Amino acid sequence: MSEWVNGGLQDPAYMAQRIAACEKEVQKGIIGQREIIRQVMLAMLTGGNVLLEGMPGLGKTRLVSTIGKVFDLSFKRIQFTPDLMPSDVTGTNIIIKNEQGSAFSFERGPVFANLILADEINRATPKTQSALLEAMQEHTVTVGNDSHALEEPFFVLATQNPIENEGTYPLPEAQLDRFMFKILVHFPGREELKGIVALTEGSQEPVITKQMDSKGLMAARALVSQIPIADAVMDYLLDIVMDTHAGNPYIREGASPRAAQALIRASRAKAFLEGRFNVSFQDVKEMAFPVLRHRIILSFDAVSEGIGEDDVIEKILEENNKV
Amino acid sequence: MEQREFVRAIQSCRRRLNLAGFLGKLVSALGVGAAAGIVFQAVSFVMPLYYARHYAVLALFLALLAALAAAYLRRTDMEQAALVMDSFGFEERIVTAYGNLGKEGALVALQRADAMKELRAHRDRIRIRLLPPWKRTGFLAGLLAALLVLALVPSGMKDRAEELHHVKEEAKEKTQEIEEVVEALGQLEQQEELTPEQQALLQEMIGSLQASWSEYQQVSSSEMMRAVTEKLNYRYENMGSQLADLAQSLQNGAAVSSVTAESMQALAQKMQEKSGAQLAKGNAGQPGGQGGSDQNGQGGQNGQNGQSGGNGDQGGNGQNGQGGNGGGDGDGQAGNNGGSGAGQDGDSGGSGRGTGTSSTPHDYVSIPNDIADSGNLTGNAVDHDASGYFHAQNGLSWEGTHMSHEAVIGSYEQNAYEGIAAGKYPSGMEEIIKEYFSNFD
Repeated sequence: MSEWVNGGLQDPAYMAQRIAACEKEVQKGIIGQREIIRQVMLAMLTGGNVLLEGMPGLGKTRLVSTIGKVFDLSFKRIQFTPDLMPSDVTGTNIIIKNEQGSAFSFERGPVFANLILADEINRATPKTQSALLEAMQEHTVTVGNDSHALEEPFFVLATQNPIENEGTYPLPEAQLDRFMFKILVHFPGREELKGIVALTEGSQEPVITKQMDSKGLMAARALVSQIPIADAVMDYLLDIVMDTHAGNPYIREGASPRAAQALIRASRAKAFLEGRFNVSFQDVKEMAFPVLRHRIILSFDAVSEGIGEDDVIEKILEENNKV
Repeated sequence: MEQREFVRAIQSCRRRLNLAGFLGKLVSALGVGAAAGIVFQAVSFVMPLYYARHYAVLALFLALLAALAAAYLRRTDMEQAALVMDSFGFEERIVTAYGNLGKEGALVALQRADAMKELRAHRDRIRIRLLPPWKRTGFLAGLLAALLVLALVPSGMKDRAEELHHVKEEAKEKTQEIEEVVEALGQLEQQEELTPEQQALLQEMIGSLQASWSEYQQVSSSEMMRAVTEKLNYRYENMGSQLADLAQSLQNGAAVSSVTAESMQALAQKMQEKSGAQLAKGNAGQPGGQGGSDQNGQGGQNGQNGQSGGNGDQGGNGQNGQGGNGGGDGDGQAGNNGGSGAGQDGDSGGSGRGTGTSSTPHDYVSIPNDIADSGNLTGNAVDHDASGYFHAQNGLSWEGTHMSHEAVIGSYEQNAYEGIAAGKYPSGMEEIIKEYFSNFD
């Protein structure tokens, strides 16, 4: 333990406290939605991207901007529309005239930021949606023959409206798999709504202060990836992922290996956020929903019986009950 | 908390889990064993099952063994014990720390320290119950009590089972005894020195004993056992005296080895002992038999002996004495061989020759107590000395026993067909016998 500097970026206990302080600071700017905030924080701790599904006006943009302030990260918002072109996202080469003459120069698109809010991502064409694929997975952007690295940490938070399907382009499975979490944003309760109204319509905006910078966030990510997992917990996690495949009558296509990786990372991050240095069954169980719900394709039986993704996951968890 | 103490805490939990697991399995297994014992006991009330109690005890013992085996095979290992400890609110800290005990790393060390700290602070949370739920234990107690009651409650069927068991045990001993005697007789019968008539006599003895062996196989009550044993004793007695006579005659003969004669004598003595009678060498016989008259089977042979005796009488020169199985005092031995004893008569120089009881074994006569509703039966089965048949025909009588038709018809039919094959029956009777048995098919 001597190599650990108390209060430093490599001190796990200290970093866990700092992350918890960040979460608390975000909650100052967002009334309610604690579970949403928690899951977005977890995604940030693991370097994952988040797909938020919910009605407009539920504070998604505010959430991202608040996180940007708390972590002192650059933030860009891209409103996805049907006529949005890939170059509008990634940037493009333009001709620049200077003293030496004309030359192509890469003009960075809005994707070059730490936090990207891809608003209503399903309204853009697949071509434009896929422009985000490389950025989300490789954290690079390739235009022409040149690849451009994105700033770290890079984090995409996309939103989509669950009810307005006309004129939309549902995200393909390959792209959905790139999102670590799919978080369902529900309408707030009455008390929460009252708090939101008071916060946004009041005379005083809450003051959000920086709690950690990008360097700290990257250090926290490095710590999270080292959290040990017991064999029994790992077996439980793998059983859950495997059960999305093996003869489940409500699933047409099960979760990918990327789902197992995401579940491990998310469970580690949750333990870290709660001040523990080991993963519990409960961590895995709670993370299974946001990690798996967009990675399984329901069968006709499930659709005809009105069974949703969360119902299927719940059933799998019941069958593998450890908690 | 140091690592050693941490591991000891898990070991302690593991021991308790293993003990609890064994007790749980024991209660379940004993429940199954007790249920099986109850079934055995219940069966013993409706059919003779002598070993019902033994089976019940065996079932419980097997249940104990099964519980031990299951507890051993499914014993808790350290990781499982750590997982169980974690289930008391430690959120998999202990199992993670145990799994990384030998590993290095800052976060691993931090996690281990965290786990030990939590365990030290909240060890009292871990409560592993040793005894199975009281409902299961109570159910087991009820089953055991029911088993005990059923085992102790007397019943007629249980008494019957006990009787049957003793009868079977005794029958088993007797059949073994018969087998030994049959084997000894068989060895004697193989001796080449014996004449065909002597061999036939031994073969007849073997057949008679085999009949007893078959009867013992079918014994199913004390009454039957008594009757069959009486028959056997009678046969032993008869055979003993016949063998003694045969041995005596062989000892006097020149062509037979002394070993054979001694073996026969020993076997005869053994039979006499088994029958409870004393072998009386040279015991004066009763006059009997129509020696030399050849009137009846073996009597023909005896008749020859009688003639030999006559030769002895006449043999003043000693040659006849030898011819008369020893002449002189040899006559006496010859007389014995001829039946039951002209020993003394033999001493008198053969004056008693020509007499002597026939050595033909007269078999028993069974007088049924009852056949259907017929009252026309005669004889006194209980006191056979008072039986008119006994006195008139020189036969013996036993109280008859009832046997089912199916139990005997097979062996009767087999004997009949063997008799036909051996030409025992008069010509013309074969077809009648065959027709008689074919009517049963």
